[in-house]
Amino acid sequence: MDIEVAEERDGEALVLLPIGRLDSANARSFESIVMERVDRGEKRLVVDFGRLNFISSSGMRVLLMAAKKLQAGQGKLVLCSMPDHIHEVFRISGFDQIIPIRDTRESAVAEA
Amino acid sequence: MARMDELRVSLSPRLSAVRGLAQMVEEFGDANKLPDQQVYLINLALDELITNMVSYGLRGVARPKIEVGLQVHETSLILSIVDNGQKFDPTEATNPDVSSPVAERPVGGLGLHLIKTFADRMQYEYTGGKNRLTLEHDLTPEAR
Repeated sequence: MDIEVAEERDGEALVLLPIGRLDSANARSFESIVMERVDRGEKRLVVDFGRLNFISSSGMRVLLMAAKKLQAGQGKLVLCSMPDHIHEVFRISGFDQIIPIRDTRESAVAEA
Repeated sequence: MARMDELRVSLSPRLSAVRGLAQMVEEFGDANKLPDQQVYLINLALDELITNMVSYGLRGVARPKIEVGLQVHETSLILSIVDNGQKFDPTEATNPDVSSPVAERPVGGLGLHLIKTFADRMQYEYTGGKNRLTLEHDLTPEAR
């Protein structure tokens, strides 16, 4: 199953906006989109959660893989605009200690 | 006032079944005025557990079956999942090291770690050829 992902360029950062639901049914589709961008040399990646209402652990796993690969190449992944219920889960599970999360797109782009 | 509302669903084990179930859980959450975060945690657990069953535990099983139950009790939300796949005890799965730096972190094992982190009580038994897992989440005071 494919996921719809909007894509915007903001300065040197590439902003990806997955839409709707990112779960085990479409995590592979999201993985191929994200990793293709990383493999072609994008260094500053922002994933904007503003249009996402659900992310499963398989979706988080893709973010973790991307963060690892970007970090290995001196790049960076920053997340932003997370709905409160998702942000809380990322915070309690310690995920926010691994991948930075910013409230707004502007601050995420500035940090990426 | 005492209340106990219940959702019961029998699923055919396909990855796509998770979506229809998630929709039912969201409607159940709305009807019982459950907080978004608690509904999210239930769907997070279901996505992980059912994906595991479909991808591994129920492979090659003649009549694969998954039964999901969700009950709202006075102070907690109880999720039960029963399947007739291979014996698998999620309470014994090892935790990934979540304190290590990003470059050293394993990318697997995250889903079960999240389930264990957020469940207030977790119980597993294997009886009658079935895996029976129960997760209990305490309701926040405002949701009671």
